[in-house]
Amino acid sequence: MTDTPAVHPTDPFDPEALNSAEGLDPVDPAYAQVLRVATALNLIPLAIGASVFDYLLIRHIEGPYGLITALAWLIAIIVIISFPSRRVSRWGYKIGEGQLRVARGWLFRTDTIVPFVRVQHIDVGQGPIERWFGLSHLIVHTSGTHNSTVTLPGLPADLAAAMRETIRRHIQTDFA
Amino acid sequence: MTDTAAAAAAPIIDDDAGWQRLHPATLALAIVKLGPRSLQFLPAVAALGFTGNWVYIVPAILAFLLISLLAAWFQWLRFRFRVGDDEIVIESGVLSRQHRTIPFDRIQDVSIEQGLVSRALGIAKVGFETGAGGKENDASLDAIGLDAAQALRTTIRAHRSGEAATAVPAVDAPDAPPAATDRLLFAMTPRQLLVAGLFNFSLAALAVVGAGMQFFDGLLPFDFNVFNPRDWIDIAEDYGLDQWLLAHRWIAGVGAAISLLFIGFASGIATMMFANWNFRLTREPRALRRTRGLTTRTDVAVPVKRVQAAILVTGWFRQRFGWHELRLQSLASDGEKERDHQVVPFAKLDAIDPVLAEVAIARPDAAAPWQQSHRIIALGGLVGTLGATIGGLVAVSFGQALGWFGPVVGVLIGAASLFGARFHRWTDLGEQVAIRRGFWKPKLTLLPHASVQSVDLKTDFILRPLGLATLVFGVPGGSSLASHEIPAIPAATAQELRARILAARARA
Repeated sequence: MTDTPAVHPTDPFDPEALNSAEGLDPVDPAYAQVLRVATALNLIPLAIGASVFDYLLIRHIEGPYGLITALAWLIAIIVIISFPSRRVSRWGYKIGEGQLRVARGWLFRTDTIVPFVRVQHIDVGQGPIERWFGLSHLIVHTSGTHNSTVTLPGLPADLAAAMRETIRRHIQTDFA
Repeated sequence: MTDTAAAAAAPIIDDDAGWQRLHPATLALAIVKLGPRSLQFLPAVAALGFTGNWVYIVPAILAFLLISLLAAWFQWLRFRFRVGDDEIVIESGVLSRQHRTIPFDRIQDVSIEQGLVSRALGIAKVGFETGAGGKENDASLDAIGLDAAQALRTTIRAHRSGEAATAVPAVDAPDAPPAATDRLLFAMTPRQLLVAGLFNFSLAALAVVGAGMQFFDGLLPFDFNVFNPRDWIDIAEDYGLDQWLLAHRWIAGVGAAISLLFIGFASGIATMMFANWNFRLTREPRALRRTRGLTTRTDVAVPVKRVQAAILVTGWFRQRFGWHELRLQSLASDGEKERDHQVVPFAKLDAIDPVLAEVAIARPDAAAPWQQSHRIIALGGLVGTLGATIGGLVAVSFGQALGWFGPVVGVLIGAASLFGARFHRWTDLGEQVAIRRGFWKPKLTLLPHASVQSVDLKTDFILRPLGLATLVFGVPGGSSLASHEIPAIPAATAQELRARILAARARA
């Protein structure tokens, strides 16, 4: 990608700065939609559960009916709307110089480098939600006990396939 | 192993070409294994007893035995294996059949294990280490005759070394030509074992005895608990000793201390003797081979090429006498419990160095420039201190005097973590990284750059403002819970070290 220095590379709260300061490429912004749908699928049943709990129990014991329901839906909606795009902006990757670099997270940031020659095998996966948005994820398997799989989500399907081919050419086995 | 011995020990042959069954004595082993398993049956017996259905107990136990034996017999009947020219085929499973083919080329080594009963029966469990991840993926023959097991291992080794001689001539270090096979690298004499056992002082046995006394309290014919001082006083009264004891209380104290010491030393020596009796570590053309054990004898080989890291462990006390233990991290795990292979249980460094040289790993010398991790790594312990203190004080405020333990333990934890944090050090030796940690149980990890498969550079909201980062290495083998890491070093240093390590070529 570009080598232009970031405008404010040290501001940790600027998602763009985080990736460009470390020389990383961002993942596809559409991945935010994937995360959003996945989060919604997780949280909406929880919120429904909370509502049912509220309806059955709190009303029965004459507690403050409606409080739990309102809170649950409020939190669910906030999390579904705002969190995915933040999380996506903190994923970054860089492929080249014989190695794959994947960084993720901000509060606990992990920046992993896997040299191509250390890759055992590669998966390109696509879940139903990802297929909807035309994305894939790349899973790189190493023989290390720690980091035996390194996942890079949010790649356009054709880019993921191209990356797989790039890495595949470098795979070699070290062990007899 | 001669051909005649192998032929004499050939197990029952099926009518098909070359199919063999496990040794019939395996069934006897199954009966022995029923012993511990029948403990699971105790609750059912108890339930029958409580409900008053005493008549059913004996039939129920008999049915249990019968079903277990039938199951073992069916398994034996449906398990067969065939040793071909360059592969071994194993078929197993009663209902769902499993057919597994393992080419000799893929067998890294063959381990032979004999428990006490197996030794009496002359059979052994043969494990094939293929390097497939996970214990469950490695095949084993449990069990065949010892002669057959050794013959099988010889066959597979011969195949491997033949291939190695033609295809990979540079497997061994130049100083170890294939002709000079089976050099003895390290052995433990009973005297060394005794010394090692003395340093192996442990009061764990006391806890076991105590738990056992608790468990069998109601079952023992006499009403006496060795851990209950009142019982001792009762005995003393019976013999008119109570007056004498009251007068000589310090003698009782000394006696108790001496017996504690005795139990600690005895259990330390016993565990060391049982585990490491007749310990021998030999260098074979491709592997380090270790045989050891008093009751359960194991024979394990660690292929030299697959050693990923060396770990030197010692204790704060034994370190003063120069005693260390050497473990090698390999792709396979050592038995079911240990992850790393213990190749030298107890020795001085000058005895360990030759073993390290065999796996091409060097110990950092005195001039190595050690660098310290930041003190912030004590933070976890300090948080523990806070938690214990608050918890304890809350308990005290509720009128529970035992709560004072909280702050006391908390301060101890905090002090230990602050003190221990000073012992986190690392140095880069060019070809390998050395990581040192711990005060109570100092541990030195020697990690060749070439074993590192991936590197994580981790920061979080605490390390980042301090400009620190933690390096975590992905290394084959070892425990997934304790990965090798260098915690809390300056971020720039971490990035530079990571680049240097990843530039290393694959370990040859």
